[in-house]
Amino acid sequence: MSVATKAGGIAEEPLTLRERSPSPTMSPTQQTMQIVCISRGSLSRGRELAESLARRLGYRVLSREDLMEAAIAEGIQVGKLETSMMKPRAFTERLARERDHYLAFSTAYLCERLMEGPLVYHGRTGHLLLRSVGHVLRVRVVADEEYRIRSTMQHLGIDREKAVRYLSEVEEDRRAWVRSMYGVSWEDASQYDVVVNVERMNVDNAASALVGMAQLPDFQITPASRRAMEDLRLGAMARLRLARDERTSRFAFSVAAHDGAVNVTYLPHDMEVAGDVPRVLEGLEGMGQLQATMAATTILWVQEAFDAASPTFREVVEIAGKWNAAVELVRYSASAEEGEASEAGTLPSPAPTQAVAGIEEDDEEDVTDDGGLKDTLDELARVGRAGGGRFVRGVPSALVHVCCGAVPHSLVVLGNLFLSKEPGTKLRLTRELQDSLGSRMHVPVVTAEELRSQYLFGPRDAFRLLGFLAVVASLYVAVLTHQDAVLKFLAGDWSGPGRLTMWVVAVAVFAFAPVVAYIYGDVARSLMKLLKME
Amino acid sequence: MEPGLLYEHFIDINGFVALQVVALGFVGGILSGFIGSGGAFFMTPGMMNLGVPGVVAVGSNMTHKFGKALVGSRKHAELGNVDKRMGAFLIVTSFIGIRIAVWINSALVGSSDSHGAGGSAAGDLYISAVFICILSVVAVSMLRDAMRTRKDDEPAGPSMRIANFLARRHLPPYIHFKVADVRVSLWVLMVVGLATGYLAGTIGVGGFIGVPCMIYVFGMPTAVAAGTELYLAVYMGGFGALNYALKGFVDIRLTMLLYLGSLVGIYVGVYGTKVVKEILIRIVTGLLILLCVVSRAVAVPAYMRQLGWVHFDPAWDAWFNSASKVMLFVAGFSGAAIIVFHVIKSYRQRLRVQQRLTEARAAA
Repeated sequence: MSVATKAGGIAEEPLTLRERSPSPTMSPTQQTMQIVCISRGSLSRGRELAESLARRLGYRVLSREDLMEAAIAEGIQVGKLETSMMKPRAFTERLARERDHYLAFSTAYLCERLMEGPLVYHGRTGHLLLRSVGHVLRVRVVADEEYRIRSTMQHLGIDREKAVRYLSEVEEDRRAWVRSMYGVSWEDASQYDVVVNVERMNVDNAASALVGMAQLPDFQITPASRRAMEDLRLGAMARLRLARDERTSRFAFSVAAHDGAVNVTYLPHDMEVAGDVPRVLEGLEGMGQLQATMAATTILWVQEAFDAASPTFREVVEIAGKWNAAVELVRYSASAEEGEASEAGTLPSPAPTQAVAGIEEDDEEDVTDDGGLKDTLDELARVGRAGGGRFVRGVPSALVHVCCGAVPHSLVVLGNLFLSKEPGTKLRLTRELQDSLGSRMHVPVVTAEELRSQYLFGPRDAFRLLGFLAVVASLYVAVLTHQDAVLKFLAGDWSGPGRLTMWVVAVAVFAFAPVVAYIYGDVARSLMKLLKME
Repeated sequence: MEPGLLYEHFIDINGFVALQVVALGFVGGILSGFIGSGGAFFMTPGMMNLGVPGVVAVGSNMTHKFGKALVGSRKHAELGNVDKRMGAFLIVTSFIGIRIAVWINSALVGSSDSHGAGGSAAGDLYISAVFICILSVVAVSMLRDAMRTRKDDEPAGPSMRIANFLARRHLPPYIHFKVADVRVSLWVLMVVGLATGYLAGTIGVGGFIGVPCMIYVFGMPTAVAAGTELYLAVYMGGFGALNYALKGFVDIRLTMLLYLGSLVGIYVGVYGTKVVKEILIRIVTGLLILLCVVSRAVAVPAYMRQLGWVHFDPAWDAWFNSASKVMLFVAGFSGAAIIVFHVIKSYRQRLRVQQRLTEARAAA
């Protein structure tokens, strides 16, 4: 692996990652730990821009190629993984494990390099690896199509038609890679803080413009973003250890770290690995507490203030028990700017000045009052359902950004949110957040009230079950005790032979079958809900 | 038509037969929830083993599929897993495929009448032949992939040769589908729609072709392919039900009895996917489909005799049918038993872990 320094020299770096806490004796420059992630397309001059920007800022440059080289040295078959992920193959457990290994390694590697000092990274998706870190400047660089075609022709010595096809295929592959690895669209402008088009702007001038942007307070490290990065690194290192150790490498894990506490969840059919997890992770630097939870999936519960004695807690735990799920908590507090904007009538657009993820250490109130997060997490750990916890402060888009992380969820529960707002505003903002999360995460997003009605069996369900059961029983009895009449009707024997007769039969069948399916389906669903098997 | 059939096409359903149909629905439902397909590969031949003419088994099963898909597709649509534009293109051609299938099935039943012999044998033989050809390819591919996953380090998955082959060909016009984020040639789309509709209309298992085509030929994400197929199943099922009912080939009693088992079984199957290892899911699925194919093949000599193509004692027909039925039921129930066994085992393990946790905390 090689890292280009400010002066353009090459410094040799070790290929392996070290498991260590960030050095307490960092220089002031290192302590800034700023990172600019440049997402570049094929021949879009992203490398030139990255190098020019790094020279101006005095940062080091790290490229995707460096990262790949290190990943290969780690033993990850990157080429094979890329091919598998780009093609729409069946998503096997082994592929999922390899993807997790790669993601953990890449994340840990980036965090590690960042701990050593500020840098400019250019590749495809560095910003997505660090998406929970608030101070990353995310840049997308695009270039003139004609320039790219000509460069391709020149580089590969091929004709124009082939160059166009080559570029199209490469872009298509990269798009597929990003979608399958991170579940987002690579070209979605909302993934970036700025999109630079070098078609009409000189690369050096573009770099100069970015220097100003990088110096904005929005992209400087805060205690919260530092903590988020340390947690991200710790989680990645833990996952990496599990992937490297032969006792645990065959199993699927979901790992998250919060405030030094590492939470590992494993699947119910991998129960035999439970004892090995603490042994493998023993002595991991920076790890305070370890929580290993058996879970088939994760439920995300977002609320402003948690209370382990609340009915919502009991309901969430009940559903988690039924689904074999871990519960991840996110304490969400909307920022003041968000509130003002929301009163204007729509879901506020991102306002990064206040959008941070993590615990605000510089806020005295937040340090002493964590909104019941820790107590609730302890209680979840006690009942074997802990899936980790986080604190997000900012506009709703910051929450959406944090929630769409690496850990897949099966359900999102929105508890009490926007507590300082009027009931009407609170309801509207919650609905808007629900829509926003639903469209980004592609999982059911429900409020605490909907949780009760949709997933738990209550008195209302009992009445509904009895009513529908009566209707469905009547239908079955009517049909099965009058089989001759039914068959006569279906055969069209009840009227003179004719097309109209059979059309009546066809329309009746067409209308009747879905009605039976709906009513009986509802009865079956309610029964399964009652048996806690839905 | 065959003696013993009511109003020419329908079997007499007593309590025992009704129970068997419910059981077929239950096992089909479990397999459907477990595999993610419609379960028709088990229910259609199962009904034929009970004496239901093939064309009525297919018609009743399509009607069953229509109602089930109508209820299930809403959830997929809510989660954004449906490419409606893709669905719209496929629906048009699949309707043509269904019309062709219904026409052939009805003509075969009609042809038997005209000769005054054979009953529904021509239709049954044709349906069985298509069933055996298509599902043996599906089963062998599944088992081969499962075995490859066990042996090979490479992440498994069917070959991408078709997709790569098509990608190299220039077949305009191309249509871009936003939700699935793919670009597909109209001609390829039409062929896939036609094939899916034809197979859905003939044997009721269009999804076995539709979903793999969407994933491996179009390059769609798996979740979107499954959601779009379910969306498509609503229209294909509805159109198929309408067409078969128009010819008088839908037995609503069978449809209702299938619902009775399948809508409960599907929950058990879905639960099973959470507690059974993926490799086992693939092996169980592949073996089950293969056994269903063999079971159908065992019934074929009887249809051939009824058509006068081979000659042996007619009393043997009952033996062939019984052997086929036993094999199908044993295969289906064994598969379902494996799933239920794992569901119960996992549930008990969960209880034990919870108990140990409680004891450990109490001791601390």
